[in-house]
Amino acid sequence: MKKLYSNKLIIFSLVLPGILVFIFAILAPICLSTYYGFTDYSGMGKATFVGMENYKTLISDEGFWMSMKNSLLLAVGFIVIQHPLAIMVAAILDKLQGKAEGFFRCVYFIPNVISVAIIAYLWKFIYNPDFGLFNNFLKALGFEGKINWLGAEFAIWSVLIVLIWHGFGWGMLIYYTGIKNIDPVLYEAASIDGANASVTFFRITLPLMKPVIQVNITMAIISALKQMETVYLLTNGGPGNRTQFAANYLYQQAFKAFKYGYGNAIGVIFIIICLVVTIFLNRAFQTKEI
Amino acid sequence: MKKKLLASLLVVAMTASMFAGCSSENKKEVTEEATEDVATEEVVAEEAATEEGVSTEPVTLKVFSNLPDRKNGQGLVEQLIIDEYMAENQNVTIEVEALDEEAYKTKFKAYAMDGMPDVVSIWGQPSFLNEVLDAGILTQLNEEDYADYGFIPGSLDGFKKDGKLYGLPRNTDVMAFFYNEKLFKDNGWELPKTYEELLALAPVITDAGFVPVAMDGGDGWPMAIYLTDLMIRINGNSKDIISNAVATGDFSDPVFTKATDLLVQTADANLFQTGYDTQDYGTAMNLFTNGQAAMFYMGAWESSMALNKDIPEEVRTNIRAFTMPALADGVGKQTDIAAWNGGGYAVSEASEVKEEAIKFLNYMYQPDKLSKYGWENGVGMSAQDQSPYMTGNETELQNVFTDIVNTATSVSGTPLNDCGLSSFKAVIESEIQSVSNGTETTEEFLSALEASCK
Repeated sequence: MKKLYSNKLIIFSLVLPGILVFIFAILAPICLSTYYGFTDYSGMGKATFVGMENYKTLISDEGFWMSMKNSLLLAVGFIVIQHPLAIMVAAILDKLQGKAEGFFRCVYFIPNVISVAIIAYLWKFIYNPDFGLFNNFLKALGFEGKINWLGAEFAIWSVLIVLIWHGFGWGMLIYYTGIKNIDPVLYEAASIDGANASVTFFRITLPLMKPVIQVNITMAIISALKQMETVYLLTNGGPGNRTQFAANYLYQQAFKAFKYGYGNAIGVIFIIICLVVTIFLNRAFQTKEI
Repeated sequence: MKKKLLASLLVVAMTASMFAGCSSENKKEVTEEATEDVATEEVVAEEAATEEGVSTEPVTLKVFSNLPDRKNGQGLVEQLIIDEYMAENQNVTIEVEALDEEAYKTKFKAYAMDGMPDVVSIWGQPSFLNEVLDAGILTQLNEEDYADYGFIPGSLDGFKKDGKLYGLPRNTDVMAFFYNEKLFKDNGWELPKTYEELLALAPVITDAGFVPVAMDGGDGWPMAIYLTDLMIRINGNSKDIISNAVATGDFSDPVFTKATDLLVQTADANLFQTGYDTQDYGTAMNLFTNGQAAMFYMGAWESSMALNKDIPEEVRTNIRAFTMPALADGVGKQTDIAAWNGGGYAVSEASEVKEEAIKFLNYMYQPDKLSKYGWENGVGMSAQDQSPYMTGNETELQNVFTDIVNTATSVSGTPLNDCGLSSFKAVIESEIQSVSNGTETTEEFLSALEASCK
């Protein structure tokens, strides 16, 4: 078998499909994007080479920087709010045992099995200033209840709540699986030694979950940068560009403003940012392992 | 030896599977060649049939429409004509793909790159048509063919480039405030004669527990038209100021500043519902049709509300409309209306059944089709002469819009947001939300418009 896998022809034939998929589904589109990023292509007709013009415009484009700022804010929200909560809930679920464990695991995962379109419209109704759940709740408490949750003042926070809530289930499930893989003997030993729940969590659960946390956080940051569908359906980046995210902004420029070349330039910068962030995270986690 | 044999077998199997697709293609080609002879015989037979006057060759026409509601309004009219055409031409099958406006425009662009359907909805405005015509996507039509189709003078202009015609207009769009007459009467509210009276009405209506004006601010374009409407009240007309500003990228004309300030003042006076800047078309319209809002700022294409059974009867039968009231110190009158010929149809240059597509287009525009059916179904104003189809049984709303058009002292033409390229349209429709809700100043708004024109 060893000899079989050292046969270069075999290796080549096994690797070829993967390479072909990479070339045609990833590399070629990136190369085309890079090319179109140097043109003024509108998506129709001819493309004219404009050099670095699109990238120069991008530097002073407030909409783009607002979208990057919001993506960063979402990434921070994921790391600081969503993931600590997900780990804690996963740890509590693990301790619940029995039917309650299965029930709550399902409940927390439900948002992830509902279509993004339904989620977006559900929250649109919840946030509606006239008949929305939040304002009606405030009215029941005796407040005026006329808050414009998706207005300029609160929009980004309202959107962040939806995104954090929606992605919570996945994070929690991965942490839950990680916790389930921890050898129960360790907990028994800790219990015999008199460790309480918080000591067990911080000294056993958390350190052993490190690889899972690393993967989850990397995925969370990448998904924050790639955020598109929920925002498109919930606010479409508005009002103004208050809730604009990079992928949605790229889409608007390429397909709404007919600036396909500019949209591709955003795409190229976007890829570079994603790559840099991934490399940075890998390095950061590697250093900690040493 | 065994392992070498296994290795060779694996490679052969992999290579075979990889080329399986190609070989099936080859087989397909052989089959196609074989069937070609049979097909040729069929064509000869069909040609003979055509010579006898009856075309039996099956044709599939793809229609790409921006009217997803096929049971009400314009979508219903379009579908009626399609069904009639198929009934009259048994060999023709028409496949309709209908999306709402924003999704439609996005997919239109995707189709523009490859495989545009045969008959498409278009807008005769620079923001949509300029890039489309530059890319040579639409086929040229012979203007002389339409001499007796009753098009309103000037209505074809937006669909032309260098004097050549590329599409036909469907509507005459008039922007107005739809209002619930019963609600006004029951609460003793007077119809505003001036814009100042309209603003003064806002707190009165709010105090009574209703939304004064339901505004689709989430989409941006209705507010951009509102701004155009305000410019007309201030200056009497907006056409020259807008075309100059878009051409030169200079929005320093005081009419822009005054109109924008007035829009901000209007939003501050709470004339629109809370959260208007993020609520979409459907949400705004529902506020009005459910009786929660007293008025709804929208185009005459929504006059079919008067016949829409989904709307409660006490609302549906009491919908009336008035145009933007004049300003006390403005030049423009209430009869200087914001109106234009926007939506329409065209045929794709790449259509493989172009002849049939043009035949269908011409069928739709026969005066007794789009225009007549539109009128009968209470759909706004046509771009063709509708007077022969007036029966006396029109809805009140239809009569109101007929009066508005007949008594108009001037017509605005293409609204501000559609006068520039699509990049300008994208900017104004986003920035107008920011300026109206106070997160951006008038100066910042106008600077953004200037930048988008350069």
